[in-house]
Amino acid sequence: MKKSSNENPLWRFITSIKLAVFLLITLAITSIVGTLIPQGESLQSYLEHYGPTLFKIIRALHLNDMYHSWWYVSILGFFTLNLICCSIKRLPFTLALYRKDNLNIDPDKLFRMPFKARWEISSGLDDAKKEAIVKAFSKNAGGITGKRSLSDGTLYLSEKGKWSHWGLYGLHASIIIILIGAIIGIFYGFKGQVMLMEGGITNQAIDPQTGKPIPLGFSLKCNSFNISFYDNGAPKEYRSDLTVIDQGKEVLHKAIRVNSPMSYKGITIYQAYYQAVPRVTLKITTSNGHQKTFSLPTFKKINWPEAALSFGVLQYLPNVHGVPAARVWIDNGAGPAQAIWILKNRAREIKMGPNFYKFLLIDAQERYMTGLQIKKDPGVWVVWLGCTSLIIGFIIVFWVPHRKMWLWIGKNDGKDIVVVSGQSSKNRIQFEKDFRRIKQVLEQHVGERL
Amino acid sequence: MILSSSYLLSLTTFIYLGAAALYLIHWIFRVKRVGALAFFVTIVGFIVQTLGLALRWRESYQLGYGHAPLSNFYESLVIFAWITILVYIYIEWKTKRRVIGAFATPFASLAMAYASFSPNVEDTIQPLIPALQSNWLLAHVVTCFLGYASFAVACGLGIMYLMRGTEKGSRNPLLMALPENKIIDDLMHQTMVFGFLWLSIGIITGSIWANSAWGTYWSWDPKETWSLITWFIYATALHARFVRGWRGNRIAYLSIFGFASVIFTYFGVNFLLSGLHSYGSQ
Repeated sequence: MKKSSNENPLWRFITSIKLAVFLLITLAITSIVGTLIPQGESLQSYLEHYGPTLFKIIRALHLNDMYHSWWYVSILGFFTLNLICCSIKRLPFTLALYRKDNLNIDPDKLFRMPFKARWEISSGLDDAKKEAIVKAFSKNAGGITGKRSLSDGTLYLSEKGKWSHWGLYGLHASIIIILIGAIIGIFYGFKGQVMLMEGGITNQAIDPQTGKPIPLGFSLKCNSFNISFYDNGAPKEYRSDLTVIDQGKEVLHKAIRVNSPMSYKGITIYQAYYQAVPRVTLKITTSNGHQKTFSLPTFKKINWPEAALSFGVLQYLPNVHGVPAARVWIDNGAGPAQAIWILKNRAREIKMGPNFYKFLLIDAQERYMTGLQIKKDPGVWVVWLGCTSLIIGFIIVFWVPHRKMWLWIGKNDGKDIVVVSGQSSKNRIQFEKDFRRIKQVLEQHVGERL
Repeated sequence: MILSSSYLLSLTTFIYLGAAALYLIHWIFRVKRVGALAFFVTIVGFIVQTLGLALRWRESYQLGYGHAPLSNFYESLVIFAWITILVYIYIEWKTKRRVIGAFATPFASLAMAYASFSPNVEDTIQPLIPALQSNWLLAHVVTCFLGYASFAVACGLGIMYLMRGTEKGSRNPLLMALPENKIIDDLMHQTMVFGFLWLSIGIITGSIWANSAWGTYWSWDPKETWSLITWFIYATALHARFVRGWRGNRIAYLSIFGFASVIFTYFGVNFLLSGLHSYGSQ
């Protein structure tokens, strides 16, 4: 490339490959930080783990979410700018290469090419022989793309893969396409989570970052959730049986699994996690003459005003000595609250203040709550387009050569001469083989060695 | 069953160790016949390992799991060795330079030895957990390991280049037996380009898979990020060569440095960092 002295220094800086290499190295080094510091945890956990001094640094540089921080995104932006400017700067050079008339060459120069052969035919060439030579050249070089008659002979050109010079732009543009796809996803898509009890129904997802609801535009019902296990106890399958209800009608019914999501109206629903939710049936008898049976989930505080009692289930274990067990929290306002373990069908009595309370765990069942990941990302296809062109561009840049072969049938000092020469922008080894073959074939047709 | 996959794969370890030793002998003592024997032993090892992998695949069906042998750390090491040998056999067939074997086959031997002998590597066939039950498993693992294996060979060539380069002009017969600098440099570049292509495809297949499993094609998980860091390093090397005309020593250092990043992406992330990609460490 030409170096003009009156080039703007800023432009020279932004289009320099040194900057590109510097930015690549900077991206590589800074990216390490986010793999050492866990990303996206609660601020409290960073403070506990790293102490106040490091915590301040983490906060200031957004190291808890560094890949979305202003400075990391700026490096990426700067990298993109450098990429675009480098391409613009290179454009005239490539255009010239692409437009170059490769027939506009002095036949004498052909012999300065990296691959060449020359025959002088003392006996002279008749037209039939010339035609045979041209035909053989055409056949072995992969067709003639151009021909030009000069005063003392004819020049033939076989050119292939001229367009391969554009592969570089395709390759670099694909990185920008991928980034555009990612940006489309950020602005026009969303990610949300849904927790649904079996039998539950919802028309919104929850944004995991802000906790705000996102309307789906339809309702989602979980008919059932199933887990199966292998013999060794490892999970085999998580499956949610879902129904989509749109404007009062059941429009889609599908079982989703990990790796097999479902889509409706551009929104994709993934099996993400699950939770077992126990429901405990408790019968409570008090010494002041109250008795009642309650059915409650864990972590729900129940107030029983008639008996002046508050209680809840803190923990549930499906199997303690062969029976289900629950840890129940009790408060009657007289003295501190208490927590006791009760086993199924074994009544347990405790005294709190003036009263006795008898607890009986009648039944306990585990029901499942499925955790769904909800996503809309209209940019994802743009990302895949970018990925595809990245690979195709890479293959073009490294393996598709621009190869040129010339055949000159002319005269030198009154003698008929045949010159064949060629060059290839890449893969010289293959070209060398191809050229050697053409040389051999032409040698037979020329009928003379030299 | 006498012919079990674990028997064949253990046998492979010894064959590869033998092949690496023969390649070293061939290089150090410059006995032509030993080189031919080393190549023969490598081919035999490769066939035994291929049978071992096929058998392991079949055994997983007999156990009722039915999946390609690519699901845990042990299997990934075996696949790494298998592809490294495959890449090396191709290079030897293309270049006819057996000396390279002394720098390439040790990577495969070490991977197999680690897989077979380390008490921390669990070698039983395990069922696929739900997250791994996908057709992308095969595409993702094979493409990534084609990249890793090529980078291993490129690293071997880099070491070779530096050994030869630093002793330039000396009459050390050991170094004289190595291919000329220009040939090593060219080969190193080509294997890096090949590895870079497969690493790129590996990252892409991984993100397509992540998108169909978790609904996000990129989540800055440590494994993903480290694969990108590796990608940046090799991208730097390719640009430095392509545009700035870097050759020889500098590219050799980058090739070794890049492979260190590959090693960290492969092992370091599994054992030192936590993330979604923890299957490989089990």
